[in-house]
Amino acid sequence: MWSLLFLFALAASSAAAPREIEFNRDVRPILSDKCYFCHGPDAAAKKIPLRLDVEQQARRVIDSGALIKRITAEKDAMRMPPVHSGLKLVASEIETLKSWIEQGAKWQRHWSFIAPRRPALPEGSAKHPIDRFIEARLLREGLIPAAPANPETLLRRVSLDLTGVPPSPAEMDAFLKENNYEQAVDRLLASPRYGEHMAARWLDAARYADSNGYQYDGERVMWRWRDWVIGAFNGNKRFDRFTLEQIAGDMLPDATLDQKIATGFNRNHRANTEDGIIPEEYAVEYVVDRVETTSTVFMGLTLGCTRCHNHKYDPFTQKEFYQVFAYFNNIPELGRAMKYGNSPPLIPAPTDEQKKKLDALDAKIAAAETRVKTLDRGLAQWSPPANLKWSPTTALDYANDAGFDGKVVDVPGKAAFDIEDRFTLAAWADGADGSVLTRMTNTPRGKGFGIYIANGKLHVHMTSAYSDDAIRMDAEQPLAPGRHHIAMTYSGSRMAEGIKIYVDGQPVAMKVQIDTLYRPFNNAGKPFPEPLRIGGGGGGIFKGRINDVRVYSRMLSPNEVAAMAMPESENARRWSYLETHEQWRALMALKHERELLERTFPTVMIMSEMPHRKDTFMLVRGAYDKPGERVEPGVPAILPPLPVGAPNNRLGFAQWLISRDNPLLARVTVNRFWQMYFGTGIVKTTEDFGSQGEWPVHPELLDWLAVEFMESGWDVKALQKLIVTSNAYKQSSKASPELLQKDPENRLLARGPRFRLSPEMIRDAALAEAGLLVGKIGGPSVKPYQPDGLWKELTMQTLEYEQSRGEDLYRRGLYTFWKRTVAPPMMVNFDSANREACVVRENRTNTPLQALNLMNDTTFLESARFIGQRMIKEGGADRLGYGFRLVTGRQPSANERAVLRGSLQYHLDYFAGKDDEIKSFLKQGVTPADADIPPRELAAYASVASLLLNLDEAVTKE
Amino acid sequence: MTRRELLQGGAGIAALNALLSRDAQASGGLPALPHFAPKAKRVIYLFQHGAPSQLDLFDYKPALVSQRGKDLPESVRKGQRLTGMTAYQATFPAAPSIFKFAQHGKSGMWLSELLPHTAKMADEICLIKSVRTEAINHDPALTFFQTGFQLAGRPSMGSWVSYGLGAESQDLPAFVVMVSQGGGNSQALADRQWASGFLPSQYQGVKFRSGADPVLYLSNPAGYTPAARRRFLDDLGSLNRLNYDEYQDPEISARIAQYEMAFRMQSSVPELADLSKESPETFEMYGPDSRKPGSYAANCILARRLAERGVRFIQLFHRGWDQHGNLPKEIRGQCMQTDQPSAALIQDLKQRGMLDETLVVWSGEFGRTVYSQGVLTETNYGRDHHPRCFSIWMAGGGIKGGMTYGETDDFSYNIVENPVEVHDLHATMMHCLGVDHMRLTYKFQGRHYRLTDVHGNVLKEILS
Repeated sequence: MWSLLFLFALAASSAAAPREIEFNRDVRPILSDKCYFCHGPDAAAKKIPLRLDVEQQARRVIDSGALIKRITAEKDAMRMPPVHSGLKLVASEIETLKSWIEQGAKWQRHWSFIAPRRPALPEGSAKHPIDRFIEARLLREGLIPAAPANPETLLRRVSLDLTGVPPSPAEMDAFLKENNYEQAVDRLLASPRYGEHMAARWLDAARYADSNGYQYDGERVMWRWRDWVIGAFNGNKRFDRFTLEQIAGDMLPDATLDQKIATGFNRNHRANTEDGIIPEEYAVEYVVDRVETTSTVFMGLTLGCTRCHNHKYDPFTQKEFYQVFAYFNNIPELGRAMKYGNSPPLIPAPTDEQKKKLDALDAKIAAAETRVKTLDRGLAQWSPPANLKWSPTTALDYANDAGFDGKVVDVPGKAAFDIEDRFTLAAWADGADGSVLTRMTNTPRGKGFGIYIANGKLHVHMTSAYSDDAIRMDAEQPLAPGRHHIAMTYSGSRMAEGIKIYVDGQPVAMKVQIDTLYRPFNNAGKPFPEPLRIGGGGGGIFKGRINDVRVYSRMLSPNEVAAMAMPESENARRWSYLETHEQWRALMALKHERELLERTFPTVMIMSEMPHRKDTFMLVRGAYDKPGERVEPGVPAILPPLPVGAPNNRLGFAQWLISRDNPLLARVTVNRFWQMYFGTGIVKTTEDFGSQGEWPVHPELLDWLAVEFMESGWDVKALQKLIVTSNAYKQSSKASPELLQKDPENRLLARGPRFRLSPEMIRDAALAEAGLLVGKIGGPSVKPYQPDGLWKELTMQTLEYEQSRGEDLYRRGLYTFWKRTVAPPMMVNFDSANREACVVRENRTNTPLQALNLMNDTTFLESARFIGQRMIKEGGADRLGYGFRLVTGRQPSANERAVLRGSLQYHLDYFAGKDDEIKSFLKQGVTPADADIPPRELAAYASVASLLLNLDEAVTKE
Repeated sequence: MTRRELLQGGAGIAALNALLSRDAQASGGLPALPHFAPKAKRVIYLFQHGAPSQLDLFDYKPALVSQRGKDLPESVRKGQRLTGMTAYQATFPAAPSIFKFAQHGKSGMWLSELLPHTAKMADEICLIKSVRTEAINHDPALTFFQTGFQLAGRPSMGSWVSYGLGAESQDLPAFVVMVSQGGGNSQALADRQWASGFLPSQYQGVKFRSGADPVLYLSNPAGYTPAARRRFLDDLGSLNRLNYDEYQDPEISARIAQYEMAFRMQSSVPELADLSKESPETFEMYGPDSRKPGSYAANCILARRLAERGVRFIQLFHRGWDQHGNLPKEIRGQCMQTDQPSAALIQDLKQRGMLDETLVVWSGEFGRTVYSQGVLTETNYGRDHHPRCFSIWMAGGGIKGGMTYGETDDFSYNIVENPVEVHDLHATMMHCLGVDHMRLTYKFQGRHYRLTDVHGNVLKEILS
């Protein structure tokens, strides 16, 4: 970006006397980019005795004249930077360095490490504080602000910026009538669409996805975290709390469910599940990702560069990297993650609706419990039937008293459980060898689950693929000869700890052989077909007798299992008695209902701390298997220390991040919001506020905003309102050729922002204009239209993309299922962040694939058809104008009208007599067209609507 | 460089538009490139995904026969890390290849009987037997090959090349990817393997698929003819130009140009994908699969057609090489699918006088172990991942044909001569294209990144 600075430097210097060189603005970027790689913070590693980032050392070569001598040396061998570095100082850079030295070579600490103070507002006539700064700079550059944007453009701009969707015609009419901009802004900030729109960019930064990434890329469930973000923005959660809760919400005293969900932020990283990996290696990668993401998003620092060595440009050491690493290295997590679903640590995270249901059920249970209180009084008088046997009746899946006597009993459709279901298998067995109860392929080393007796010992397994996609365990002790009651209960956890084995009602110790069950038995919607088998399955037949078989679709409690095994026990007698009462049976049914409800709760991966701090070591060259010096958690020395009283753990780190002394969080945050509105941050390098980052184009404004933000109580909505009510934001984005030439990137803001919309906004706008957009907030991610076969071509499991139905086809873009290895193609085409790792800088290209996407993607064609339909049904006398206004927010000019009329006529003629073509053309998407509209007319209007959706203006914030 | 940055030079709007439309059409590449006269104008990269066994295809180890079934000596293994799949295996029985090797071509290059067609090209190819990688699992290893770094997020090599050199074609993207399915154990691929990372996304690889829509969203909706689309674009252009008059934003002109490019792609891509005008001799040369759309053989013909039309970087991925078990049977199948078309591609390019200017690379992402994964029998074995050494070949523009480079020990376990890093392959590939890999950089997050990270040496010995 030196060229841009240079351009400004030229502009300034040509206007007046030699301008004053400022170290941070003018000199540091040159030294950093061209010298620090060797003569920077990591110089010692290269055994280079000179550092140009340390004032005292730099002075030596400045004062002696060596610096200028070396950079201007004629001979290649003498000149710095050396030829082999590939770096070169251009003439203007040398001039800057010379002028700086002539002016006294005044040194400054790097600006972003100094806490911001509120600068005085520059002199000027502007009312809005932002405009004071902007206009003062424009004045210096000899520029003037543009005229205000016209109201249509402005409302569309601010609606897109605050809510991600364009204004409806009714909203536009109201605005034009009332002409109350502030009221419109307040309305938009209060809209639920606001939180969704803000969340979309946060998901990019937080590398949110619905799959694990890497090779296997199985599905995960993190939408509860996504919905937390939407809620936080809509509820205008203070940004310091927003930060604190995402970093360490779990460690707050009496952390609420929401505070724990918030920490999903640092579990959104990719997770490797491949069999061949070395788990320790990836356990390190996850922590590194957390450090990199956290430092980029909240500090604008490239701490990741210090994983292997001291930072080349900024004053951070490798040791400091591992000290920050230590804050995030104490999570009870797996290096090899679960192939499907969430990996621990995780929690069930009921939605508000589910919580309401649960509360209602709990109230019913409490009432039912009072009704059964007095029942026990009758127990003493109760005379049980002879040969009392008890087994639970709730959630009984299958019962067979006769059982097995040499002939295997096949029971199709029973015990049809998968690896995330809870269940219980129980029976009396008398024999020394063979399959007791199984549901598996009838061959050795098959797939499924079962209980066996092998070599006199109980053996239990659940196998998705032999040998290692399985849980396998053996009893430590052999079974005594004779008849025993055997039971297995399973919690659906997919882990060995979820399996309990009982013999004669007592839990028995098991030795776990394998504990890596990943894949479900049902494969991509195809149910696993094997029957429940008594006395067989897995290729073996039981040698002995089995009876009183019971299968439950729930996990029985230890007491229940004991009572089944011991008919004479107190519990067996009591429960037999109680079950004769309707009130008791009702209570049991309610409790089961509660369990079933709980089983529907989505889970979310969260952060949690291990009870004892795990040691953290520096890793030599960043390699997981080369531990070096042991380090304590700590924050980088160049930044302020932890706040007084803050614990030296992740919570303390979060408190440090949000402390008033921290120079980075507020600056980095306001800069990112600025980028949302103006396309480029005040610091262009949103992700890097270090020495290689760009010098802020409006440094005082950045600090003013940062201080204002903190002093407002980190009020995000207030900050947004402040920005969008400035004249800088409200001015017209029309540019003159001179202005374009002088300020092509519009950094000075002598005109309003104009740039292409994000992929989510492009999609949402089309759906909104079509009247198809569904307003439902949150919930599981959805799968809208995408071309066939994309998943199948690349995935290992030849997984099919199962398109959503009904309203889920028309949800906002941020709800689109994000599979990391095969990302939604429309999002990719329009420069979405990659969701592999944290991305905070916005990127916009202009490609032919985007053109094809807008012309031919079902989503846009179906939207065009509905816009065409609206033109016909709602457009009255001015159908074309109505459609144009739906998409652009304004009336077409006479010239534009002429083109639209021509296009409509062309398409009416084109479709004339082409009934088959019309039929197939109108078939785009699943929602049928209005049958009342003549198809030819609809096809022609749909074509014009498609033209509108392809306008540069349609995908651009004007 | 973005268009906006280009504009800083300061030119009149007309000149700007000319600049823009050229930029939009052909992504002109960087002005300083190529750094020196290139030998190759383009690359066709035949990626064998899943990691083919060097022991059964290229790395002839006659001395291994006597070691059959014996545990791999610790002196060879040197405690090196194994994947989680065989780390717990009790023994590591050496498994010599059951396939016969013979010498081919003037140089007497040793090749396996599984590659009868490649063998006929022995004088064209440079076989490198001493490549090593840092990664031990598919995804990081492929990511490393594609981007020079194991973790996802950096630009793929094709993106670097199209960023640096731009496209030669006015109607096709600079970087095209095609995927074919193998018969064996397939590992997942990911779109990010041809993504542009932190480079602008116009440099991403465009995936060509078999079927009606070779490029996503290429086809007009049913019932809408190219003539209608032409009219649509004329109207669109008129409206966009009216808006340009208002706003003067060069992005609008760029968008107009992109729509024109899209329109050209709508005819150039189907024309490209239509093999019906290829001669019977061509199909014969590429083998029986070549008439099957989407097969590796058909993709090889398409690769040649793309090369003819000036596409800069053409990358094929053939899946199914991950032979942990049943290797002898599965590798036979994979070779049936790939040997003849790969060889035919070289021959075809040569016949058309294009081999000199086209660099062809054949590689997997790592090699396979000398010891058997699972039980070793007379006719069957499996092989686990092996990053320490493996074989690849290069041919065409800038490469010395008919030579074998590098040597491994008797177990094809360690490299004993001329080790080659993946970065070196990248550096060499760039060199053939006239690019100094040290000088093709992009500044991101404060760092000047390059494909070869901080490594890479050009393999001078294999250059023609």
